[in-house]
Amino acid sequence: MLARSLAIVALFITGPALAQVKTPPIPETPAGAPSDIYRSVVRIEAAVQVPDYSTPWNSGRFGGGIGTGFLIGKNKFLTNAHVVSNERRLLITVHGSPRKYPAKVKFIAHDCDLAMLEVEDFTDFEKFPVLSFGDVPQLESQVRVIGYPIGGERLSVTRGVVSRVDFSAYSHSRADQHLIVQIDAAINPGNSGGPVLQDGKVVGVAFQGLRQADNTGYIIPTPVIRRFLKDIEDGRYDHYVDLGVSTFPLFNPAMRQALKLPDNGLGVLVTDVTPTGACEGILKPGDVLLAIDGHDIDSAGEILLDGEKVDLNEVVERKFAGDKVKLRWQSQGSWNDQDVTLKPLPPARMYAIQYEKKPRYIVFAGLVLQPLDTNLFASVKFENVNVRRLYSDYVPKGIFTEREDIVLLTRVESDPINSQLGDFAGLAVDKINGVTVKSLKHADELLHPASPPEFHVIELFGAPRPIVIPGSAVDAANERVKKTYAIERLSNFTE
Amino acid sequence: MSAPSMRYLPLLLPFVLATGCERHQGAEEAPKVVVEVPEGPVPGPKDLLKSVVRISTTQQEWNQGQPWEKLSPGKRRSLGAIVGKDKVLTTAEMAADATYIELESPDGKRLVSAKVIAVDYEANLALLGVESEADAKFFEGTNPLEIAARPKPGDTLDIVQVEENGTPLVTTGGIQSIDVISNFLPGQFFLTYEVKASMQSAANSFSLPVLRDGKLAGILTSYDSKDQLSDVMATDIVERFVREAADGDYAGFPSLGISTSRTEDINFRAWLKLTDDVGGLYVSTVRVGSAAEKAGVKKGDVIVSIDGHDIDRLGYFDDPHYGRLYWSHLVRGAKSSGDKVLLEIIRDGQPVKVEAVLDRRDEKDQLVPGYTFGKAPSYLVKGGLVFQELTRPLLESFGEEWQSRAPLNLLDVYENPQKYESRGHRIVLLAGVIATPATVGYEPLRNLIVTKVNGKEIKDMKSLVEAFEAPGDGGMHAIEFDEEKFTVHLDEAISTAVDGQLVQRGLAPLSRTED
Repeated sequence: MLARSLAIVALFITGPALAQVKTPPIPETPAGAPSDIYRSVVRIEAAVQVPDYSTPWNSGRFGGGIGTGFLIGKNKFLTNAHVVSNERRLLITVHGSPRKYPAKVKFIAHDCDLAMLEVEDFTDFEKFPVLSFGDVPQLESQVRVIGYPIGGERLSVTRGVVSRVDFSAYSHSRADQHLIVQIDAAINPGNSGGPVLQDGKVVGVAFQGLRQADNTGYIIPTPVIRRFLKDIEDGRYDHYVDLGVSTFPLFNPAMRQALKLPDNGLGVLVTDVTPTGACEGILKPGDVLLAIDGHDIDSAGEILLDGEKVDLNEVVERKFAGDKVKLRWQSQGSWNDQDVTLKPLPPARMYAIQYEKKPRYIVFAGLVLQPLDTNLFASVKFENVNVRRLYSDYVPKGIFTEREDIVLLTRVESDPINSQLGDFAGLAVDKINGVTVKSLKHADELLHPASPPEFHVIELFGAPRPIVIPGSAVDAANERVKKTYAIERLSNFTE
Repeated sequence: MSAPSMRYLPLLLPFVLATGCERHQGAEEAPKVVVEVPEGPVPGPKDLLKSVVRISTTQQEWNQGQPWEKLSPGKRRSLGAIVGKDKVLTTAEMAADATYIELESPDGKRLVSAKVIAVDYEANLALLGVESEADAKFFEGTNPLEIAARPKPGDTLDIVQVEENGTPLVTTGGIQSIDVISNFLPGQFFLTYEVKASMQSAANSFSLPVLRDGKLAGILTSYDSKDQLSDVMATDIVERFVREAADGDYAGFPSLGISTSRTEDINFRAWLKLTDDVGGLYVSTVRVGSAAEKAGVKKGDVIVSIDGHDIDRLGYFDDPHYGRLYWSHLVRGAKSSGDKVLLEIIRDGQPVKVEAVLDRRDEKDQLVPGYTFGKAPSYLVKGGLVFQELTRPLLESFGEEWQSRAPLNLLDVYENPQKYESRGHRIVLLAGVIATPATVGYEPLRNLIVTKVNGKEIKDMKSLVEAFEAPGDGGMHAIEFDEEKFTVHLDEAISTAVDGQLVQRGLAPLSRTED
């Protein structure tokens, strides 16, 4: 679904040539370009290094890809997060010029798939036109997609109409949903990050497509872009904020009657309040949420915003960390009004793919311990019911308050010390030496007490027996494992 | 397929097996395994027909998705062995969910409907009889089979089939190995002979009598035509089943109620303080209420011998007759319910002796029954809400890959029943919702474990039905779920009206509970 073409070989060839080549100056207007504005749509070459979560000590996979970006201000190039995530080197090329400008990521937001780049030297771009933003395009109105998709080296323009405006999944993080605009113009690998124009203004950023359907391209509309730009104004990206509340619709007359609600089609039932979330201690399960920022919440959990029915979370979508939202709810027959300060919910990122991070791990006597997250889940399939349950309950059931990490035994690198332990791979660690494991770091502390115990005893969820490792044999085993499996470092705790 | 290739393969096998046995058994009188070259099936003596009957059964399972009705029926045929007076032995598979069983003499002259006298789904054996004295005429002139002496590895057995035209066919095959395996239900291990024989696929299923010197040595339960290997339920198991079932009060094969783990890991052994001269079987879990629990066996114990048989690190013992067998045969196979078994245990490095009185674990006493043959699922339809009891067949209805596709909360109960045992004797769930006027807005609810209804704790379907008899204030039912912090409400008056409509539309009865 991600529009990133693999060009591993090509990148390695173009790489070293960059500094030496004397390049001709950039033409004022590129030859044959129909519009001046096209000059500001740039080609981005990204060399990336993607960590390998199944062998976390390895370097991972080197690769690269092509995407598109565009100039939106002084040394501000907007593109998709997925074009530049895990990047090791970025080069920007201008239409009609062979010169490659080294660039770097200034801000990156994986939850809405946007990134802001800057070049090391902006001089050559000073006179370039800057693209400005429009509104959410109307259904059926025509848009142009500009970019550097596969099929050629030069700029490409396609046209289409807006076919749908929706609230839908952003595939880059696998865990986020925002406003999305579907168009029928072809969006191909390489188009990612490119501007979608209407009446000379940017109405979106092309970012994903649907594999199983034709002519369905998706663009990130300007409300999401504007939110990103506003968020980074303070020099930092803070993520989306979250109410941390689950709700259940209140259509049922018996349910309404039992909750003593009038038959007016308003209100949703609060079914869960995430621990440490914005509403903890304010709302509780069983409360009925009636209004948000003065908008009545209907019994399906929707509100009327700018003349459109949208999910009540759309109000929260448009806000930032530290902003307040006005809630009205009914609790055991009494009405309540309170402002709630919004904040991000970091544990929820467990369910999102993480980028720019090094996998954390411990190798102990050939046993590989790793914290459970979506990156790991995406590279290793865990069948065990206990593991799957810990994963799905991590945020909703507040497991993170007790266990910051869910530590898994992911691999057993064969060694005489662990020759009978292969079957235990894929299970979650409950206790080490009798103590509940709270995090990977904690596991490491428990495995390295001041004086080594006679036996290390590792208890796993759902295992038929504990794992036993003689304390005095660990160091020698670690040395063997390090050498045999070419593991440079036996642990990493920094992401 | 050409004959030479059939002969070639078995010739190789004896060497492989013989060396394997030597390694395990050393110089002791190791049973010499020589598997005869299997011939194809040959016509058997006519007299054989006096000792076997054709069995046709109609089987119909309940629909786990709509528990008030059954799925479409299927038919199955097999060959049964006449044993004892007017009784027929076959596999439990033939009796599972049977709606009609008919016996037919091989010549097709006599027919009679049969009933199940005793069935053991775990051992995969069933004993059939006839309904009345008059029906017993069916057996006139028949010649019941005696139970054979126990064979040894390498002995040959005769597998009996009957062709459509009534000709008996005998396929001779050699016992290639003897093992304790499960052949019908998962996790139910019984002594089984693995027999190499090239059978012809017959019209009937592969539930067939297996003879030795004209006597019944076992029941064939499955045949793999590719490897020409078949599983035959061992003489010991057949003999005990027939003997115990004959009196009409079948107690069943007992169990100890433990799950175990091997102890070949030297670090684990050192931690358990096991010396090199003992083997040992680590006790991983002890089922609540089991024979082992009553005898005081604890999680973490290491069983080093059972009834004087040393258990090695992998869980095997030396059976004087068969050779190396898995320990579970000493309980399930070599014993009956009520028998005693002496366990020598090492607990915290100290030897302990424990005597356990074996009993049969009745599947219906399980929190999540593993099988429910012949039992209609318990359920309640209330205003369109469909409640069911959690069983393995219900989980299996999530499809071939149910172990990954079924809802996690339900799989968790199945995998970790000890976490839920204190709640009651069954897990009741809101399985789904039929769209009715009473369930507006409830359509997304499914597979939620019910904890309370109208304030009363739900321990099984019966308690659920009772709890619904007393609605709360204003005729309103309150339903609470495990792990969900909200209550679902149902109006008694509306749901009663809805129930009436559901019955009219053919959903009847609205509930079924176990007695």
